Amino acid sequence: MKLARPPERAQPETIVALIDVVLFLLIFFMLVGRMDATAPFELEPAISRNGAELPGGGRTVSVGADGAVALDGARIERAALFDQLAQALTDDPDLWVRINADRRAELRNVLPLVTDIETLGARDVVLVVTPAGAP
Amino acid sequence: MRLRRQTRTSPAISLVSMIDVLLIMLVFFMVTSTFLNLRMLPMARTAEATAAGRPAPTDTPILIRIDAEGVLHLQGRAFAGDGLTGALREMLDQAPERTVLVFPSGHAQTQALVDAIDRIAASGATRLRVIRVEGGS
Repeated sequence: MKLARPPERAQPETIVALIDVVLFLLIFFMLVGRMDATAPFELEPAISRNGAELPGGGRTVSVGADGAVALDGARIERAALFDQLAQALTDDPDLWVRINADRRAELRNVLPLVTDIETLGARDVVLVVTPAGAP
Repeated sequence: MRLRRQTRTSPAISLVSMIDVLLIMLVFFMVTSTFLNLRMLPMARTAEATAAGRPAPTDTPILIRIDAEGVLHLQGRAFAGDGLTGALREMLDQAPERTVLVFPSGHAQTQALVDAIDRIAASGATRLRVIRVEGGS
């Protein structure tokens, strides 16, 4: 009785290494990325040679070049903006408020906003800038 | 010759679906993430943080005006580029604690104000205040 040797089957490619790579990439993006609301309109922050590290958290008020205002990524009217910020500051008096103004936004739309937010009781109001030389 | 039947191995759990899930999540994060390099300029600070340990300024403040085109004016002279830094440094050499007051036009752009702050900081000024515009020009 002659038995034919079964043909050698190629070893299946191991996909465990691929899972490792994908998992590490996923963890990398989850750790490096920080969820932050982007403005609902095009916005380029002013460029500055100075500037301190921008902490996370807080609320972001975006001001577009045309004076449009958004709070944490959602367009909003100024009256409603101040109502929401007042409520947020009541809940957290140490709340950071970040003004993310387009570099072409006129100061008559930006500076009074800073004053009004200060009046609401915000202790730390910062202007978001892009460091000079950054891509 | 007795041939032993190979014991049937239980099928391994398929990992292909897991890779699909991980890959989709990875693509999601890659597409939605935008790498931003942002910094901040403080516009308002608590009174305690700014006044602690600093004597009140007594010298005459230095007034800088920003017009609607973003040109800086100091003592009636217009300065373009980094020319203001040198002029300010000369004034601050004599009295480093002098306050610099910035009067921006309401129609000036935010970038003009930030540029002015950069140049004033480069001159060595330690006290800077922006006189805010209340609407209009």
